Amino acid sequence: MEAKKILLPEREIPRQWYNILPDMPNPLQPPLHPGTGQPIGPEALEPIFPMPLIEQEVSQKQFIEIPEEVLDKYLLWRPTPLYRAYHLERHLGTPARIYFKNEGVSPPGSHKPNTAVAQAYYNKISGTKRITTETGAGQWGSALCFACNLFGIEAKVFMVKVSFYQKPYRRLMMEVWGGNCIPSPSNETNAGRAILEKDPDSPGSLGIAISEAVEAAVSDPDTKYSLGSVLNHVLLHQTIIGLEAQKQLAMLGEYPHVVIGCAGGGSNFAGLALPFVRDKINGKEVDIIAVEPASCPTMTKGPFAYDHGDTMRLTPLLPMHTLGHGFIPAPIHAGGLRYHGMAPIVSQLVVDGLIRPEAVHQLETFKAGITFARSEGFIPAPETDHAIAMVIREALKAKEEGKEKVILFNWSGHGLVDLAAYDAYMSGKLSDYELPEEEIQRALAEIANLPKPKIKGR
Amino acid sequence: MIPAPPDSFLIRCPKLGHQIYFSYCEREGGSFPCPKALDCWHGIFSVEEYFRERYEQEVFEGIFFAKPKPKLLTLVELIEKAKERIKK
Repeated sequence: MEAKKILLPEREIPRQWYNILPDMPNPLQPPLHPGTGQPIGPEALEPIFPMPLIEQEVSQKQFIEIPEEVLDKYLLWRPTPLYRAYHLERHLGTPARIYFKNEGVSPPGSHKPNTAVAQAYYNKISGTKRITTETGAGQWGSALCFACNLFGIEAKVFMVKVSFYQKPYRRLMMEVWGGNCIPSPSNETNAGRAILEKDPDSPGSLGIAISEAVEAAVSDPDTKYSLGSVLNHVLLHQTIIGLEAQKQLAMLGEYPHVVIGCAGGGSNFAGLALPFVRDKINGKEVDIIAVEPASCPTMTKGPFAYDHGDTMRLTPLLPMHTLGHGFIPAPIHAGGLRYHGMAPIVSQLVVDGLIRPEAVHQLETFKAGITFARSEGFIPAPETDHAIAMVIREALKAKEEGKEKVILFNWSGHGLVDLAAYDAYMSGKLSDYELPEEEIQRALAEIANLPKPKIKGR
Repeated sequence: MIPAPPDSFLIRCPKLGHQIYFSYCEREGGSFPCPKALDCWHGIFSVEEYFRERYEQEVFEGIFFAKPKPKLLTLVELIEKAKERIKK
């Protein structure tokens, strides 16, 4: 009988997160204030984040100890199993050996609690009594409520009102974990009250919910705000995925030729990939692929430049792969992947040639997700389908080349509360879209005169 | 005038992560439509024509060419705005 799950004993769980910042061939460029053009320090975020997280955001320490209290909570679902996808391999007829790290086994069903738990802990030891955040359908909100409950912190989630009433399952998850889930706009903040005054029936929006969550943190010294992606410390906490995978593959005497993850804000991709990027920096040959939607080519077609975060040019300038602040990505059906810009760490590693960005069409992703569900059984989240689509491409390429490649990917979450997206695909309601070349050129022209970050040797 | 799709017709909103109806997209930005509405509803009905009928050219461009703000990049601005609101 073939062993399908590679289980890392609990005593072998990694004790440190990996921080790639000191290993990066080209250091991250600091954000610039749009008014002054001067670098903005992390202290600008002090009103909403506790100091340990701000310190991690800029830390140059290569490995950072995972506190025992965090490890204790991680053990509720970690180490997560590494699966060998035998059935998918056979279905594809590939000589490739496909492994996936199943992050869907966490209580909220995704990789997100890896950072939610860490953030809740650092808030706890910093004296935070309450953490706020915003959520749409509730993926991040549920992870944060789960984590806050573990540490006895109140979680206040401003959930877009229309989502609050239309998506009861994750809202109920939040409430089961003791979270305070509030339909936004609410009467709890000036931002919310101002909206309700104008429009008592406002269905809300993520923009309003973020404003409420940040205001709630700024207005109360015992309250902080939490973000589930993009920031350096979020990516740091996620590296436990890749560190575990390295140990599990070593148990088999395997090392991947290809590492794949879907890349939205970058946290689940980085979580698996960054420890392998470190190996690559140190001479290992490994192809590391960040997969994004074809309709949102922030990495595959955008240059690396300082981009204004908004069209009014008031927000900080941050170096990101970008299509310019004038870029609207085309519609896709994977909520977590649709970001204007990627995490700065991931963007820089793409520039440095350590990560290969690839784009897939949405129809290909859903087809891949269904292929996976019908071979391996697990129904992936729509975001995870992007990684699976690339895995299938690479496995078929290995078949054509007759190579026994080892492919590793991050199965970042299950899709059991995202079945409406599959319904739309199966009923033929989805369509593909690729940004026309002239649109890309137009967007790039907008940032042609912005200052470019310095890159060594270029 | 181009009619709007009924609220019974739903598509998946990539920002929220679930199915949504057009009248939400039409007011997602408060008094104005979600800037992504053209992309999301394109191919389902004549959404561009629909909005062009309802907004002057300048306003139309302001809505749909004024692009959404990434969460991370707006945090500092949100903090400053929140401080101003609290002062008031």
